[in-house]
Amino acid sequence: MSASAPSPARRWRLDDRTTAVVLMLPPALLLFTLFVILPLLDAGYYSLFKWNGYGAPSEFVGLDNYAQVLGHGIFWQSVRNSVIVLVVSIVVQMPLALLLALLVYRQTPTNAAFRLVFFLPYILAEIASGLIWSFVFDGNTGVAAGMFAALGMKPFFILADKDWAFFAITVVVVWKYFGFHMMIYIAALQGVPAEMIEAGKIEGAGRWQIVRHILIPQIKPALMVSGFFAVVGSLQLFDVVIPLTNGGPSNSTHTIVTYLYAFGLTRLKVGFGSAVGVILFLAAIVVAVAYQRTLNKEAAR
Amino acid sequence: MAEVQLSALNKTFGAVEIIPQLTLTIPDGSFTVLVGPSGCGKSTLLRMIAGLETPTRGSIHIGGRDVTGSEPSERGISMVFQSYALFPHMTVRQNIDFGLRLAKVPAVERDARVAKAADILHLQPLLDRKPAALSGGQRQRVAIGRSIVRNPEVFLFDEPLSNLDAALRTQMRVELAELHKRLAATMVYVTHDQVEAMTLADQIVVMNAGRIEQVGSPEELYRHPQTIFVATFIGSPKMNLLTGPIAEERGATTYGIRPEHLSLTEEGGWSAQVKFTEYLGNETILYLTSELGELTLRINGNQRFGTGDSVRVKADKVHEHLFDGKGRRIG
Amino acid sequence: MNMSAFFAGLGRAVVLMLVSAFVLGPMLVTILGGFKSAGELRTNPFGFPQNWQTEFFSSILSDATFWRFLGNSLFISLVSVVLTLIVAAAAAYVFAQIRFFGARWLQAYLLLGLVFPFATAILPLFIKVRDLGLLDSYWAVILPQTAFGLSLSILLFKTFFEQLPKELFEAAWVEGCGYVRFFWRFTLPLSTPILATVGTFVFVSSWNNFLLPLVVLNSRELYTWPLGMMQFRGEYVVEWNRTLAFITLTILPSVAFFLAAQKYIVAGLTGGAVKG
Repeated sequence: MSASAPSPARRWRLDDRTTAVVLMLPPALLLFTLFVILPLLDAGYYSLFKWNGYGAPSEFVGLDNYAQVLGHGIFWQSVRNSVIVLVVSIVVQMPLALLLALLVYRQTPTNAAFRLVFFLPYILAEIASGLIWSFVFDGNTGVAAGMFAALGMKPFFILADKDWAFFAITVVVVWKYFGFHMMIYIAALQGVPAEMIEAGKIEGAGRWQIVRHILIPQIKPALMVSGFFAVVGSLQLFDVVIPLTNGGPSNSTHTIVTYLYAFGLTRLKVGFGSAVGVILFLAAIVVAVAYQRTLNKEAAR
Repeated sequence: MAEVQLSALNKTFGAVEIIPQLTLTIPDGSFTVLVGPSGCGKSTLLRMIAGLETPTRGSIHIGGRDVTGSEPSERGISMVFQSYALFPHMTVRQNIDFGLRLAKVPAVERDARVAKAADILHLQPLLDRKPAALSGGQRQRVAIGRSIVRNPEVFLFDEPLSNLDAALRTQMRVELAELHKRLAATMVYVTHDQVEAMTLADQIVVMNAGRIEQVGSPEELYRHPQTIFVATFIGSPKMNLLTGPIAEERGATTYGIRPEHLSLTEEGGWSAQVKFTEYLGNETILYLTSELGELTLRINGNQRFGTGDSVRVKADKVHEHLFDGKGRRIG
Repeated sequence: MNMSAFFAGLGRAVVLMLVSAFVLGPMLVTILGGFKSAGELRTNPFGFPQNWQTEFFSSILSDATFWRFLGNSLFISLVSVVLTLIVAAAAAYVFAQIRFFGARWLQAYLLLGLVFPFATAILPLFIKVRDLGLLDSYWAVILPQTAFGLSLSILLFKTFFEQLPKELFEAAWVEGCGYVRFFWRFTLPLSTPILATVGTFVFVSSWNNFLLPLVVLNSRELYTWPLGMMQFRGEYVVEWNRTLAFITLTILPSVAFFLAAQKYIVAGLTGGAVKG
């Protein structure tokens, strides 16, 4: 506030601005700090202790929790699984979503109907999706059972197979999320000016050439955003795994978050679980920074 | 270079008939301008020639070939869009030779054609830039360059100057006229601006509600407009139209005289009061209320008048126009 | 139509039908499965039931705990929506309209939530909720959920508010309208599209949330439907048909809601993606 006395009208306006800020900003700040930032800081703090969650943390162990995590084979298996999901998302899911987006982005009633159908899995809860597919894969009574019976083969319980169970999980992930990526691409495709495509047509570009030379370069930002979500999503996979395999068989299908839940939370090893959480956090930061860097590089071009 | 022949074209969208029945010949090597108000169908017509829209009925011939069912790239045409439609992720050079690369034209010939186009349009220093780094006028030249390298039989322009500011527009008009002379190409040009039409065209096609009102040279349209629509569309300020005794005593329903063909006189003529004056430096426009109705008058030079001044107005009899009850020209 | 266009059209139709089968297949099998007897599930997984067994559906629908689960989810989701809309819109408004010292820092601070994975905080959150005495209550879910959704919601609101014409505020300001009153009288009424978009986004996220309620809710009476569903599954592990009926009944509200509000759902879920 200025040193000289402001005129009454001016002073009222200054106060009004302050009132607005003081009234409208703190609730968000309070909620956010209390339930997001503080727990994150706590995670870092707790990760340095061996603690079962009761009373106060007293047994300081330094980086021992981290050593335990990084020395645990199952943890590395879960990291490997998260990477598998990531790769499948980028190599299978995104191209599938792009293909479908190219097929249905024009505004026609049939296309609108298909778009709706393809987006449907995304709005179902992950937990419900996992349970549905748990039935589909069931060797006794599910769709898988029916298919094997029809082929005259013995039932194969894919979810009980150490080597193939996670593959089944990735199928569910693709099923659930391809529609989301497709919608992002469709929004971008619909933003490409019609005259640009027409100019391409006049220059002699066929259907595929228009896609390759005009459409895909124009939707690059959408591809980047979708890739970012794919990476972030693969790090946080939890809900689908629980109903399908719960991390089994023999801990072969854990993801980082199910690992945290099983080995940290259910066993009340708060320090250990927090360490996993911090590692996850660092991975997320790395991804975010890499993404931002790539964005900046693209913008400079 | 080729002649374009449009025969009995009809374009209907659902229940709406945009173009009922249109027949038109665009002579080889001419600069033909399609002009008319928004919604008159001129862009639709151009897009049908380009192959971006298919006619509901009728046929289109370019250079004697029936192209009604052909793809745009097979018609021997090229098009400059209102928004230029440049590819933002490609350089100027890549934008211009895009079609040539698709057609697998050898690099040597490609570069030669690009160089020639760049030379005509003064684009050489810009060849490696991206469209985002260019001004509006430069982007437009790139769009024209892309058209030229295709060596098309017919050039199509869809309101190419609409997105430019006034000064740039005047400059580009001159350049387009020079381009036409240099390439000796058939050019079909769409605009809603009658000044562009009058200055650029060999042949003007005035359109209204999907129909052709009149086809002719700028001079023909100016001197002998066949309908009231053409008479008021061409020429600015608009032609004065008067009904009543002045028309009836000449055997017509409407009497028309352009503002530049009215002059002030000391005696005789009609009496009028000055309502409003516009001073444009080189000319003065007077808005008058006269015994015959509202009149607009144009005089050379800068003359001062006060509101309410009384004047007397006379018409140049050589340039009188008469129209019947249906708006058609008499005599 | 020429040959290549015909084959392209045919190929397109085949791909679309195959993918549709992939998407709808599991859902149809689930819905139909709830009507089949255990034996029939084995022998006829794909087709329509010979006899429509409605007992599973009716037993679930007549079970008060089922409705309790749905009611819990509904309450939590609605309160989360209302809380998020008010808190996030207010904060976003301040950032969009008011310049003050430190604004940019606070903005960056609040947007940090876009990067942090929820799972990192789940253990400390459990501790904190317990220490606040909120464990095993609706608020144990509502408050953290809202907090984690704030970053994206504030971003969406801010982008929208920044696109409102500035002259509107200036005209109101000249008439003596203050910032807060402008927010209630002008900004909010003009923001119905973004309110609907953020609202549906928050609602769907909350409705489907599993991990948070799993950690902070212990009493069965408070279970949200995902928890209820998993517990039901545990009880009836061998009776898939019963479980399928339960799943069907829980996904029906989601599907119905989606069909009714698709415009906003798509806008919210993907708009957040594109902006982010």
